[in-house]
Amino acid sequence: MEQIIANGLYLGAQYALIALGLTLIFSLMNVLNFAHGQMYVFGGFVTYTVVVQLGLPFIVGLLASAVILAIMGAVIEKFLFAPVVRRSKRDESTMLLAAGIAFFLDAVILLLFGEKQRGVPKIVNGVFNWDMRIIMPYDRILIGVLAILLIVVFIAFMNYSRAGRAMRALAQDRMAAQLMGVDVARYSMLGLALGAMLAGLVGGLLVTITGVNLGMGGPTSIKAFLMIMIGGAGVISGAIAGGFILGMMESVGLTVLSAYGDITYLVIFATLMVFLAVRPQGLMGKPWG
Amino acid sequence: MKASRLLGFSAFLLAVFVLVPLFIGATGRWDFFYTLTSVALLSVGAAGVWLTFYIGRINIGQGAYALVGGYVSAILVTQGGVSFWLTLPVAGLFCAVISILIGLPILRLRGVYFAMVTLVLTEVARLSALALPITNGAKGITSIPLPGELSVFGLTIIPAFGSLSNPRIGFYMMAVVLMIVTYLVLWRIVNSRLGHLCRSLQQNEELSASIGVNTAYLRVLAYAISSFFGGIAGAMFASIAQSIYPSSFVVADSVNFMLYCFLGGLGYVFGPMLGTFLLYFGWDLLSIAREYQLLIYSGVMILLMLVLPNGVLSLLDKKEGGK
Amino acid sequence: MTPILQIKNITKRYGGLTAVNDVSFDVRAGEILSVIGPNGAGKSTLFKLISSFVPATSGEVLFNGERISSLAPHKVARMGVVRTFQETTIFRSMTVRENIIVSHHLRSKASLLGFFLGTKQAKEDEAAFAASADDIVDFLGLQGIRNELASNLPQGHLRALGMAIGLATDPKVILLDEPFAGMNHDETMKMVGLVRRLRDERGVTVLLVEHDMPAVMKISDRIVCINFGQKIAEGTPKEIRENEKVIEAYLGSEDAAIGM
Repeated sequence: MEQIIANGLYLGAQYALIALGLTLIFSLMNVLNFAHGQMYVFGGFVTYTVVVQLGLPFIVGLLASAVILAIMGAVIEKFLFAPVVRRSKRDESTMLLAAGIAFFLDAVILLLFGEKQRGVPKIVNGVFNWDMRIIMPYDRILIGVLAILLIVVFIAFMNYSRAGRAMRALAQDRMAAQLMGVDVARYSMLGLALGAMLAGLVGGLLVTITGVNLGMGGPTSIKAFLMIMIGGAGVISGAIAGGFILGMMESVGLTVLSAYGDITYLVIFATLMVFLAVRPQGLMGKPWG
Repeated sequence: MKASRLLGFSAFLLAVFVLVPLFIGATGRWDFFYTLTSVALLSVGAAGVWLTFYIGRINIGQGAYALVGGYVSAILVTQGGVSFWLTLPVAGLFCAVISILIGLPILRLRGVYFAMVTLVLTEVARLSALALPITNGAKGITSIPLPGELSVFGLTIIPAFGSLSNPRIGFYMMAVVLMIVTYLVLWRIVNSRLGHLCRSLQQNEELSASIGVNTAYLRVLAYAISSFFGGIAGAMFASIAQSIYPSSFVVADSVNFMLYCFLGGLGYVFGPMLGTFLLYFGWDLLSIAREYQLLIYSGVMILLMLVLPNGVLSLLDKKEGGK
Repeated sequence: MTPILQIKNITKRYGGLTAVNDVSFDVRAGEILSVIGPNGAGKSTLFKLISSFVPATSGEVLFNGERISSLAPHKVARMGVVRTFQETTIFRSMTVRENIIVSHHLRSKASLLGFFLGTKQAKEDEAAFAASADDIVDFLGLQGIRNELASNLPQGHLRALGMAIGLATDPKVILLDEPFAGMNHDETMKMVGLVRRLRDERGVTVLLVEHDMPAVMKISDRIVCINFGQKIAEGTPKEIRENEKVIEAYLGSEDAAIGM
């Protein structure tokens, strides 16, 4: 039991971080970022390159992932999303763009890093063992703690910094924020940069444990969608709740349902459908986002 | 107007039934038959996605219905010994019924919420196909016999595909016929009151309800028709490939269906057909670029989006001004 | 004779907030009745309650003695109680004429399948809708813009189009949501004339929610005034003008300048 909870927390922290980035982008731009999973994978590969191929310390790799992904996010916003949002008749057009970017990133990852599964050697050794009740390698604990730390920093940033407050105003009411003098173009760009950076950071964290490969992008995006649907799209608390809930469900499911074959996700999906039929806006979302 | 439309339609028929086979015969690119068959079938599925767009819902779940349709047909043919021609409408109807059950709750969702749920639906279909005993898990269903003869009162309408010297042409013809029928139906829907009501729904659901439209019913109806198209497309695919696996239609396929519609243009009935043709055929032609195939493909897609954010067919708008 | 519309003890609570509190009044067939009140008095909630777009916490609305308050909006419309929205709610990417034609839905005798197949009945329906739409266009004086895209119209025309959409459904009662909001004096007077003709020439009972006092005084047969979600007065324009509670409500609020 304790083991399941510990696993769930560890998974949940990673998931919440991914969902935070996605929900931030969604709330600012009303864009469902299909490329979120690819950004995560990209971040993983950057850390891998820095740590394994260049032989630099892990923290440098992590920082490199953050910086490179942030730049990528900003560029994507400025040169792709912003013009399309401006000129398109429908909101949905950004979805096509996002899907196109997902494919494009897949292609770039393939060309730059290849198809192989890549990993970074353990950053700390040893296994934590509490009386056989919780067994968890130290590196997982470290990564989990780092993820939670990042979540805390992110929330603090959104609540207490000028930029964070501006972005929250923007998310709440674009028009009103504009009237209040918030530089919409600038903070949209910052928001996407931040969202992409979070995805890259999780990639950098998890490459030390599960590794990354080209095929992980799509499924990661889907999981991220699940989380923000559970919690309510565009809501920070919802993303965190959704991340931890999915982590827990996965952890419980893999233990309890393993006897019936690989049906954990089928059960999770089915539960979600029923849940959304009752509560379309998710746990904490506003109706119709 | 009427005459020019008839002329265009005849030209299209001439092109797909005569010119294309002639061209392929002359160049010897027999693989194009396979590509164009896929284009035709995918555009049938895309027609369905387009119809859900027409009621204001972003549908990224067509892969699920294509997969279900494929399995229904494959199971009926291999285990029930049913004629493929009968399983084709059955697969469509089966999908329509399922989509009604699923649609009743989820069609209340809007915007991205609906889009995300439908995306998840494709995963549900894949995982179900893996888990259910009747679908034979990851091994899938293979060696599905080719479609037999279709005859009415002893009159052969379609010969058995096994007896054809070149079944590829047979499949091509069949797929194109299916595509034409689908788009005629779609065109008729859009230009009848049903389509006008769908448009009213797309533009303003509250107002639509207040002029007396049963919006819930209409949404489910449109979604069921959409899924019917997905189902028959999937059934046909399974029959051509003579196999179906849980991975035959995955999330990427669902996303592609959506992209075909977007790229062609959501405001135009024939948009999804054109979009499917451009993207799928383009992808196929790009295979000469080898490892750069995906890069060029997605790059062009992004570029098109920047230049023509309202679809390729929006080019027509500027010339003619309006519809 | 029973009133065409009866609002009985209707109440709406959002969480701890009571937006509409135990409001009752009747609307008689063939009259123009206005609901007035200062901003935030609960007018628009009341409007949504009557048109059944929001479920009431308690109380009910009866149309010709039949309960309509828990019906789906399209069923309410089907019975003949139709609302028009504030100006932005039209079918934006249709032309004026298309807007009106599509809104004839309730009058169709053919089924959707019939329309799809193009049966004789369907063709008759379409022809009838088109004729009626032209009739409505003439009635509202929209001839010059009948083929304009709705999204290109100025506000005054949008309001008229909203009314045209309502008329197309062949309503017994039409609910107008702030038909004069944001209009200058001339536009308002034009609209007042239109609403009158709606009743006089088409026999439609009109219930409108509005806070432009001069227009309301001019147009209404009777007025219901609400404040803080409660009915504080009901009567003819003259009675309302002299009612102290009404004066107090308006003086105590931000729109003190009611220009009576």
